[in-house]
Amino acid sequence: MSEPVIRVALAGNPNSGKTSLFNVLTGSRRNVGNYPGVTVEKKGGRFTHNGKDYEIADLPGTYSLTSYSPEERIARREILGGGFDVAVVVVDSTNLRRNLYLLTQVMLAEANIILCLNMSDEAQKSGQMLDLKQMEALLGLPIVETVGNRGIGVDVLKDTIENALANPAKGERLVLGERLDLVVDQLAEMIVDDGEGARPPRWLAVKLLENDSLSKQWIRKRLPEISEDLIITAQNRAFEIEEETALDISTYIADRHYGYVNGLLKEVVLQEAREDSRRLSDQIDAIVCNRFFGPFFFMLSMYMLFYLTFSVGDYPMGWIEAGFEWLGGLVSGFWPEGSDSPLRSLIVDGIIGGVGGVIVFLPNIALLFLGLAFLEDSGYMARAAFLVDRVMHKFGLHGKSFIPMMTGFGCTIPGIMATRTLENERDRLTTMMVLPLMSCGARLPIWMLLIPAFFPEHWRAPMLFFIYIFGIVLAAILAKVLRITVLRGEETPFVMELPPYRMPTFKAMMSKMGERSWLYIRKAGTIILAISIVLWAISSYPKLDQSPIDAKIASGKIQVIDQQLPENLSEQERDAALEQIIGKAKESAAKGVEVLTVNEVEQRKLTEDLDYSVAGRIGSFLEPVLSPMGFDVRISTALLGAFAAKEVFVAQMGIVFSLGEVDEESETLRDKLAKAYNPAVALSLMIFLLVATPCMATVAVTKRESGSWKWAMLQLCGLTVLAWIISTIVYQVGVLFL
Amino acid sequence: MVESPITNALEDYIETIYLLVRDNKLARVKDIAKARGVKMGSVTPAMKRLAEMDYISYEQREYIDLTPKGEQLARSIVARHDLLRRFFKEVLHMSDDAAEADACSMEHHLSDEGMDKLTRFFEFIGNCPDGNPSFIDRFHQCRAVQPDLNGYDSKCNDHICREHGSGHCKRHERRRATKSLADLQVGETGKIAQVKAKGAIRQRLLDMGMLPNTEITLERLAPSGDPVWVKMQGFQLSLRKNEAEAILVQG
Repeated sequence: MSEPVIRVALAGNPNSGKTSLFNVLTGSRRNVGNYPGVTVEKKGGRFTHNGKDYEIADLPGTYSLTSYSPEERIARREILGGGFDVAVVVVDSTNLRRNLYLLTQVMLAEANIILCLNMSDEAQKSGQMLDLKQMEALLGLPIVETVGNRGIGVDVLKDTIENALANPAKGERLVLGERLDLVVDQLAEMIVDDGEGARPPRWLAVKLLENDSLSKQWIRKRLPEISEDLIITAQNRAFEIEEETALDISTYIADRHYGYVNGLLKEVVLQEAREDSRRLSDQIDAIVCNRFFGPFFFMLSMYMLFYLTFSVGDYPMGWIEAGFEWLGGLVSGFWPEGSDSPLRSLIVDGIIGGVGGVIVFLPNIALLFLGLAFLEDSGYMARAAFLVDRVMHKFGLHGKSFIPMMTGFGCTIPGIMATRTLENERDRLTTMMVLPLMSCGARLPIWMLLIPAFFPEHWRAPMLFFIYIFGIVLAAILAKVLRITVLRGEETPFVMELPPYRMPTFKAMMSKMGERSWLYIRKAGTIILAISIVLWAISSYPKLDQSPIDAKIASGKIQVIDQQLPENLSEQERDAALEQIIGKAKESAAKGVEVLTVNEVEQRKLTEDLDYSVAGRIGSFLEPVLSPMGFDVRISTALLGAFAAKEVFVAQMGIVFSLGEVDEESETLRDKLAKAYNPAVALSLMIFLLVATPCMATVAVTKRESGSWKWAMLQLCGLTVLAWIISTIVYQVGVLFL
Repeated sequence: MVESPITNALEDYIETIYLLVRDNKLARVKDIAKARGVKMGSVTPAMKRLAEMDYISYEQREYIDLTPKGEQLARSIVARHDLLRRFFKEVLHMSDDAAEADACSMEHHLSDEGMDKLTRFFEFIGNCPDGNPSFIDRFHQCRAVQPDLNGYDSKCNDHICREHGSGHCKRHERRRATKSLADLQVGETGKIAQVKAKGAIRQRLLDMGMLPNTEITLERLAPSGDPVWVKMQGFQLSLRKNEAEAILVQG
């Protein structure tokens, strides 16, 4: 099969079902949401049909091909760049007028077009009837009816794509009216460019009339000899049209495009959709987005989302935990009891402990993603953005920032990618900068470990809530600060489509949840596994030949109490008895001799071991900076891991506390933590972990999405410094009261 | 672009020929004389001269046509002419006749650089994301308030800033025009008269079909009354109040 691959592009309005169609075509799983802007960058896939290989790209959803938003620029570049053999324009059949407007833009760009009437089942249900034969004839383009989410019509689409290669249809039948066509032809005639990647002259002519900056740039670079004349002539013609029609040129041009669509629809729509086709959706909105009840339903839906994540998720979490505990025990059993094998330590402490501690949270993460998938697919997410825009706006954010930020509760990375739906660069950057403050799924294990360790039962739920709210409030303040300092500028508009409610299909939700959860598992199996091993190694090596405490015992400087207490004593009696013994021993001990219990000796040994290891040395090096927040060497080493991936913090705490198994439900780890630190440290630590150092992946994605290290570094350093300040204050003040 | 010495009068001839060819498809000595208001006898030598300079192809008793070189020059002259006329009209708000007359006499004297800078300046004014840069607006407001004062007089500027600060002024302007989309009652339908937004948002609204005479209904308001939720052409979308204010409707 040495034939070249056939390249196909899917273009369409936001929410026209391109992505479902893409999924069916390629069999891959992609995010499909019922809100505008799910495809935030061009994504590719492949399929084979009749022995030929096809490469397919899902372009971002756009309403037009202007150069105003990053998504439109991507779509436009791809379509104009000529990198495609066939462009499939996917339209929502229930909203033909606006969707076909984009088609007219693509026709102008002279791509080889197939028109795909998607969601045709909904359109038929609403009573709409089309004369497809007539439509094909008038447009001069092949038309395929599809139902993307159920895979109907996809084979026909594939056949049509195959066919289109032999019989290209470029949509030359686009008519913009005598007045405009004349001017466009006149200008197009002046444009002669046969070079590589030439732009269609009629497209350029229209764009020059619209005073489109990218096209002007292009023409100045490509055709410098005629560019100025061309540009001025275009502007003069535009001016004449404006004078004649009393409309400004962009309105006039849009009007002519819509005029063509309206004319077409008049010819081909045999029966209009019934007026009430959106009635159910409207009735739901009348309640759910009601001016007074709206906020109530919004709070309820957010509450349900978190309830689902945390309460329902607890059950499967218990099972996974038990599973890992059992596995740890099983593996430990291969070695004789009390054995100090490094391999056992690596597998049980490093791998099972590290990775297990992270996998335990899979149910929570999966449920959170399931909940988000439901909100997205049903169409409620767009409503939520409508409801909260005012509040977001007050803090210099945007209603559309809400969607990336909600996603950020799952994971910061897709959240940052989703900021592409924001048209304005300053809005995008502001949202990106504060996104790490949305407590992501990876930080959940940390809260689950620390909160029960330090706070009494009835304070646990409010504490968790407090952490989330603290992040949100801080994000709001920070966003405002950014908007009045480095990202100062004009307010940006909020124009967002509110698609009708749709019942999410089980399959789509499951595949979305599955895809995102799989990413989490993969991370646990790769990055976190690797980091766990590295952290285990640097916290275990180099080892002391003989620990100083053993030397002291040998030389008699420390007296060890190793008295067996009767088994039948209660805990209190045991403590009292122990104290008595220690007291007696101390009295009888020689001057300068320390008296320690066996347990205390063990603890000292571990601390000494850790201090001697690489991790301990790095920790000690960082200690002057971290101690004002109340952090010791052990926390410092765990924070190193947290920068790689937040979940690692839990694993590393387990490792440095040298426990056989590491998981948050392990009472022993929590007990040890509770004994080792006071609640002021815990609070300062949680705030530090919430605010400081977004994980490495976040920094990398921010760099990629913002296009510069500057923003990534600002995010990394700014948040870390901020976290240091807040945590120091919290700890220093906390110590006074606790 | 203009490298050979060519007199103003000759440039005018080239311009005339270009316009005649463009509009009537042909140019004869008779037409040229008529268009320029001169005798045919004075046209002929000029044509000979132009033919020698290779701007036109001219044979006696034949139609006159521009050579590619001539056409290029003509286009550039016409472009200058139109640009200047628009500048006088749109930016300086001069009368049609005065703009035309001044454009006619200035078009020959502008250097390439002057032309280039003026083009870009004009483009900047028209293409600035916020629409007209406010200094232009302020200049005209100032002229309207105190015609004797210079636009950059500090006193006048202060006065304008205080009295007609841009936000205030825009609102004032809108109140005078048809009511805005934001003024509709919930459930009320209006017809779009004009989209006054600027830049990217304007293009987006147009692309979505917010064109004159399109029906639009205010469906509901967000809890605080902002943003608003509208229905048009079978789909629904939300806009902030200040965007809705920039869409004028007839109730």
